[in-house]
Amino acid sequence: MATATDQVVGFGLVAFSALLFVYYTLWIIALPFIDSDHSIHQYFLPREYAVLIPVVAGLLLLLFIGIFITVVMWKNRKPAKKSD
Amino acid sequence: MTKLGQWLCGLLLLGSAWAALAGLRLPAPLRQALLPLPVYLLVAFGCFSLATVGFRLATFNDCEEAAAELREHIRAARADLARRGLRC
Repeated sequence: MATATDQVVGFGLVAFSALLFVYYTLWIIALPFIDSDHSIHQYFLPREYAVLIPVVAGLLLLLFIGIFITVVMWKNRKPAKKSD
Repeated sequence: MTKLGQWLCGLLLLGSAWAALAGLRLPAPLRQALLPLPVYLLVAFGCFSLATVGFRLATFNDCEEAAAELREHIRAARADLARRGLRC
């Protein structure tokens, strides 16, 4: 059995990603087929954001990964050996 | 063919299918649902990955006795090596 914290975090991740998947699926795939005067549209941003937000989030992720790698490599640099 | 080659061929196939469909004149709702499909699949795959990591974290079987035994082994090995003069 995993620890209680692990279980809470783990199932929390599952619930969060399920929620995100349902919301995003509705946004991208279901909404175009629903009449524009239905009240469900008030819960969703304009469609451009459905592409913009993931792309920007992806770029930010790449940025952080790059910064992390740079910092780690910078800390691990050794001074060049001097030969006698 | 390598696995990378297979994956790239699959992606190429799906990508060209998407591009071909995007070039047609589809009715407006279908077109609106089709165009963001690559981003949608990427986000869906990300959600699936997150859910898998979370689920495996929650259902992992800790073995407390094995962990304690391993710690004891490590301690004994460290003591032994220190006695023999290895700095660790």
